[in-house]
Amino acid sequence: MTDPGQLAGLVRAAQRGDGLAMAEVLDALAPAVSRWCGPIALQDADDAAQEALIAILRGLRGLRDPAALFGWARAIAVREAVRAARRAAHEHPADLAELPAHGDPTVAADVRDVLARLAPEHRAVLMLRDLEGLDEHSAAALLNIPAGTVKSRLSRARARFRREWQA
Amino acid sequence: MNWPVAELDTIRRLRALAAAVPGAFVAETTLDAPFDQVWAVAADLEHELPAYLPDVRSFTVTRRDGERLQAHARGYAGLRANFDIVLRPGWCVMRSRFLLGGLAAVPDGQRTRFAFLGGVHIPAQRAVAPALTAFGNRAAPRVLSRFASRVHQRPPGPAAP
Repeated sequence: MTDPGQLAGLVRAAQRGDGLAMAEVLDALAPAVSRWCGPIALQDADDAAQEALIAILRGLRGLRDPAALFGWARAIAVREAVRAARRAAHEHPADLAELPAHGDPTVAADVRDVLARLAPEHRAVLMLRDLEGLDEHSAAALLNIPAGTVKSRLSRARARFRREWQA
Repeated sequence: MNWPVAELDTIRRLRALAAAVPGAFVAETTLDAPFDQVWAVAADLEHELPAYLPDVRSFTVTRRDGERLQAHARGYAGLRANFDIVLRPGWCVMRSRFLLGGLAAVPDGQRTRFAFLGGVHIPAQRAVAPALTAFGNRAAPRVLSRFASRVHQRPPGPAAP
């Protein structure tokens, strides 16, 4: 794991076009990019993660604060993953009401199946809230939607999911 | 809750790197040899780089510290360059003042997917990027063919340190 000071130096070198530094920034980001893209893009996640890395490396010159690397990269990766999932021909958007409750043991049986019933944007909300631990405001800002919408929809959807499961 | 995770193998990483460097190119092939046999050639930079890169006469490793190496290259056209290198199984990136190189390999059953990256750092890099990429794409099949020959000539065994 690269320490923050060292990573900031690598980012600055990569911004100057140093290919080896770009490769090392890529190394540092790749596990997180895989984690961000997996739940959103599902079967298209490998392609989405590669596209996200390309967008991140190409956009690196525009990053003013190297300390903000991971938050900035996460927004790009989520956007690329949603785009890849929407592009996929086999996409079947489902209603947000199917969102599972956080920590619901029934979800562990097959997370991928549950996620596949959701629209990519909804998978993004779920990943940001429950995997990344973002609050509603941060998730809403990253996804460019109102915070209140994120909160109310998640709340209603989880309640409905539990009711339907128990019916 | 086990969330799905994307797979970003070393070839995908090399493609991403090439896409972000103007003028860089990546050439890929699948070799009919196991990963260890392929990477034994890739990792043996001193002996094998001059054998499959047409313009390299010698490549001498001058420092080795874990996965970080330094090397001095000499070319037939008078090129001399010092390289900083990161080398680990399945992944190698080399950077001199003007050149960027990369190697990546991924096991594919008993076969191995292999990729080679070439690129340059020059002042007018973005302006001439299309020409550099086109040149690289023309040269790449020869490099991959020579690399494959080296792999098939080399007996299976442990990779070079």
